[in-house]
Formats: sequence, C-alpha cells, structure tokens
Amino acid sequence: MQPPTNMSQIFDKLNDLKEIFKFGEKIVPIIQSIISFMKEVVPLLESINTSIADSTSQIPKAANQINNVTSATELATTEILDLVDDISNELISIDNYFKNHLEKYSKKKDLYAKLFERISPESEEYKLLKEMNELEDNDGSIEDIKSRLQKVNDDTYKITLSLQVQDITAQQLAAVTHLIQQVHGRLASLVDDIEHAEIKDTIVDQHIVVDEKVHFDANARYDTSGDRQKAADTVIDDQKRKASQEEIDKLFS
Amino acid sequence: MGLKFLVVDDSVTMRRIVVNSLKNLGYNDYVEANDGSDALAKLNADSSVNFVITDWNMPVMSGLELTQAIRTDSSRNTLPILMVTTRGVKEDIVQALQARVNNYVVKPFTPQILKEKIDQILANL
Repeated sequence: MQPPTNMSQIFDKLNDLKEIFKFGEKIVPIIQSIISFMKEVVPLLESINTSIADSTSQIPKAANQINNVTSATELATTEILDLVDDISNELISIDNYFKNHLEKYSKKKDLYAKLFERISPESEEYKLLKEMNELEDNDGSIEDIKSRLQKVNDDTYKITLSLQVQDITAQQLAAVTHLIQQVHGRLASLVDDIEHAEIKDTIVDQHIVVDEKVHFDANARYDTSGDRQKAADTVIDDQKRKASQEEIDKLFS
Repeated sequence: MGLKFLVVDDSVTMRRIVVNSLKNLGYNDYVEANDGSDALAKLNADSSVNFVITDWNMPVMSGLELTQAIRTDSSRNTLPILMVTTRGVKEDIVQALQARVNNYVVKPFTPQILKEKIDQILANL
C-alpha cells in the first residue's frame, strides 16, 4: 500500500518548502540591499564608462598634438640650421677677404722695403714713405679679427651640434605617442564591449597617426657628459678582446 | 681614392649635423639617404660610396637591417659602417657589433668623437 509513503513524501516536501521560505526570509533583505546597491552603483558605472569613452576619444588629439610638436621643432631646427649655414658662409667670405687683404699687405710691405733701399734715409721722400708705411701697418689687428671670426665660426658650429637635441626629443616624443597609442587601443577595446553605439562611433572616427613600425629609442637622452660614449667604448673594447680570444682559442683547439 | 660618405638618417636635422661635421673635418664628398632602404638604393646607384654613417632607428629599414643587408652582399661586406645612434645600452652595442658595424657613436656626438671613430675605422682597413 503506497499512500502512507506518499503522505510522508508530501510532508517532507512541505518541510523543504518551509526551509526555503525560512531561507527566503533571511535572503530577501540581502537581495533588497543588493538591488538598492545596484541602483546606486549602475549610474556610477555608466558615468565611469562615459568618462573612459570621453578620455579615449580625447587621446588621439593629444597624440596628434605631440606629432605636430615634433614637426614644428624639426621645421624650426631646419630654419636655425639654414641661418647657421648662412652665417658660416658669410664668415668664410669675410675670412677670404682678410686672406686677400693680408696677401696684398705682405706684397705692399715688400714694395716698401724695396723703396726704402732705393731712397736715402735723409731725404724727405724717405720720411713720407716711412709715415705711409706706418699708417698702413695693421699692428696685428687683422690677425686679431681673423681669430675672433674663427671663434664665431666655432660657436656657430657648437650651435649646430646642440641641435642634436631635436632628434633626441623627437624620439622621446615618439615613445610617448606610442605609449598613448597603446593606452588608446586598450581603452577603445574596453569601450567596444560596452553597448554604447554613440560613444563607439566617436572613437572609431578618431585615429592616431603613428607609424606601424617602431623606429624610436624610448631611452634616448640628451647627455653631453660623454659618459654614454665611454660606456659604449668599453663594451666595444670588451667585445673585441672577446673576439680576439675566441680566434686564439680556435687556433689552439 | 678619396672618401665618399653615405649619411643615413631619417632626421633631416641629424643628416645636416653629420654632413656639417664631415665638412668641418674636410670631407666634402657625400650622399644622403633617409632610411636603410633608401641607402641600399643609393649604394646601388653610386659605386663610389666607400663609407657609411648610419642611424639605427629609422622607418622602413633600420640601420641594423641595413648593416645586415650590406654584410650579406659579398661585394660590400668590407664597406666601412659607422653606427651613430641614441641607443647606448650594452645589448644594443653588442647586437650592432655582431651585425659587423665597424664602430659605434652614441648621440649626441662631439666632432672629436666622430673624427676619432672615422680615423679608427680608416686605420684598421
């Protein structure tokens, strides 16, 4: 006879149901807290998403501005180099002028010497000639001007060398742009997961102009101490010694 | 035969600085290239080039790739190559030497260093 078993099963089920209700009584407040928490948090999350999307859409502008800075500094550097070249060319032509002048002066001196030999030291002509000779004497002033010109020339060359800073900063800026590009890519993929068509469209529309291939040195530094060259020379010497030793070892193996 | 330099750098500024330095050292014969690929084209077009000064970081083809390309060409595997780059870490220098550059200059360079390195290369030819 089955009915007692069925009744017992029904009571079991009722007990289970009772336990579920008891559990429900306990869990409902928690669920209510979760729901109220969600109500508060969802707008916050949406706001965060919008912020991320906004920031992401601003990144290409920043990257492009950096690229513009590099182009502008390269243009300005080229203009400076043009001016420095002009100054150097002017200095060369002034130097040539003085060279010619000194050659003429030397010839004049020879002529004066010849004239002095031919005229009596007691004569009036001799005195006049001596006076003229003294007036034409440059007292080393041309040599002085020439050495000053050389100094100006050396300084303009130093300006040229200092402009290496443009290449170094361009590489540093390229490294920053590359970093920005990577951040942009990650943020864009994050935003891509959010169902926010409007924002997505904005981000897709914006594009960072950076070459695919990395061609910069993120560690580039404008260090004029010479320490980096010394360190490089040490590595080169070590490598050469190592290579020589290997050759010797090969000979005796 | 006099020296004819091939100056390879993607930066117009750097090319001009290297060229000015060469002129100051009395070397007036040179051609310029803006990357490794351009440099190879210039080398193919001008057989009188007998000294290469190259940057490392360049688009299209780097200075290291250019060095490797030159060294794998039997007609040019002894062509002097001076690497002039901002890369100053040991691993980079070793890599460049393994690619068989003849010498290595770290930017920013001084004219004395450039002269010293060119002279060293010429003395060892």
